[in-house]
Amino acid sequence: MSVVLEYEGITKEYRSWLSGRAVHALADFSLKVEAGEIFGFLGPNGAGKTTAIHLAMGFMRPTRGHGRMLGKPFGDGHTRRRVGFLAENVALYHRPAGHLVRFYGALSGMSGHRLRERTRDVLEAVGLLSEINRNAGKFSRGMLQRVGLAQALVNDPDLLILDEPTSALDPLARVTVRELLLEQRNAGKTVFLSSHLLSEVETVCDRVAVLHGGRLVRLGRTADLLESHGETEVVARGIDTSLFPGSTPNNGVVSFEVALSGQRAALERIWAAGGEVVSVNPKRRSLEEIFLEITAEAAQRGSNGNGNRTSLADRESSRGERR
Amino acid sequence: MRPVLLIAGNFVREQRWPILVLLVWVLGLAVIGLFFDVRAARDDILLIFKQLAIYGVAFSVFFGGSAIHNERKSRRILAVVSKSVGRQQYVAGLLMGVVMASGLYCFAMGMTGSWVLGNAGFPVQRLLFLILCLFTASVLAASVSVMFSTFFFNPLLATGATGVFLSAPVFAMQLLGSQWGYLLPVYSLVELFLKANYGYAQQFNWNLVLVAGVETVMFWVVASTIFALRDIAVAVE
Repeated sequence: MSVVLEYEGITKEYRSWLSGRAVHALADFSLKVEAGEIFGFLGPNGAGKTTAIHLAMGFMRPTRGHGRMLGKPFGDGHTRRRVGFLAENVALYHRPAGHLVRFYGALSGMSGHRLRERTRDVLEAVGLLSEINRNAGKFSRGMLQRVGLAQALVNDPDLLILDEPTSALDPLARVTVRELLLEQRNAGKTVFLSSHLLSEVETVCDRVAVLHGGRLVRLGRTADLLESHGETEVVARGIDTSLFPGSTPNNGVVSFEVALSGQRAALERIWAAGGEVVSVNPKRRSLEEIFLEITAEAAQRGSNGNGNRTSLADRESSRGERR
Repeated sequence: MRPVLLIAGNFVREQRWPILVLLVWVLGLAVIGLFFDVRAARDDILLIFKQLAIYGVAFSVFFGGSAIHNERKSRRILAVVSKSVGRQQYVAGLLMGVVMASGLYCFAMGMTGSWVLGNAGFPVQRLLFLILCLFTASVLAASVSVMFSTFFFNPLLATGATGVFLSAPVFAMQLLGSQWGYLLPVYSLVELFLKANYGYAQQFNWNLVLVAGVETVMFWVVASTIFALRDIAVAVE
């Protein structure tokens, strides 16, 4: 698979020119996103997710390191013709939705009939075709986010970079967006998705990366992360909870967890007790559990060492404490 | 060129209310011409006309100095520069927007001025050249303020720095001679407009217009180069 987005040892520091104090938004950050995948980019507030995205889009330059997007160095204007971007807290001009999407499409080099057709298509895809002539300045935040998504899709991009695309959407619109992302992947496009909605990431993303304090702390396939290696969940009927300490009764069945090595013995005990095995599944954890675990570990490691550095996350949390 | 024109058109659209107010102000002169005996108050009419010229240059500086700041603060800049738009094109688009706004203003001044001043008894053969002087002065002033706005993201600082920068040649002219007026000819061009004697023909100083045109391009290049090196992303508030 070809790599569409690549960060290589990127460090981004924000330095105050008054105090000279440096804040590390990203520290020696490396990551590769492959073509045709939906990649989830996770991290607590101030972890450096938006900075990483802005670096890729060329809105800012790294302090150290370099990166490539669709084979070209970050910031290449022509490459952006093949990229769709939706910023966190989208801000758009106050004009009719159709005009707005056409304006951004024209900036991507589109014109004429194709642009008009595409404008209608993307507004229909985000469920706003009926609002094509309504001024975006009068839209709700969720509607604005959908117009933002439409402008990101208008140039039929190979790479879609979305920073919190569903944060303001209602559940129905979220489902629409989720289906849209899956459609993009099925069409061979790549989606780089930064989100705090872990259930959404869990549902659509092929791989996820977790960022903490400007550092990459976990990277892997979503399915692998969710699977709890060596643990199985057994659900049985017709047995007493006392047979397996720690088991829980629920609607006439008893469920319990058992190590993979003890699975066979457990099943034989159920049968020997006259019970019936309803299901045996590898135990899966939610992405939320994993995320909390990873960030807690990372925070612990961060507080043990590296005391002289300030990350955006540190700054964010100290700001939170002050509040 | 298309992105530049799109950004310029968008700039004018976004600034339509201040531009409209300025145009109404110019049209006020036409109203005076319509309802009052302009021959009796020809000196007052000339004074108002010259005042309007200064407003034009001043607003060019304000438009130029705040263009990047407004786009950054509203975060609308992100959706624009995420498209296939280079930083050079972006700055050119904003500058072109100010040029269009100044062009509209100068056109309105030319039309109104030639009618009202003509009615007041001034020969207006030179007026077109003077309007061109005003236009080039406005555009040069805007390019300087856009340049300052690429590193002073605060519009007040950018406007203030532009004011100081543009007045430097005035002091140089006083101390070292009138040839220093060519260094940054905004003042010289405006002075040409303000001190013009509408009574009889004078030599046209095309050199000042030419120098202003060349310097506008130069400041645009400098502004684009600086802006290409700047981080433009803004934290979510």
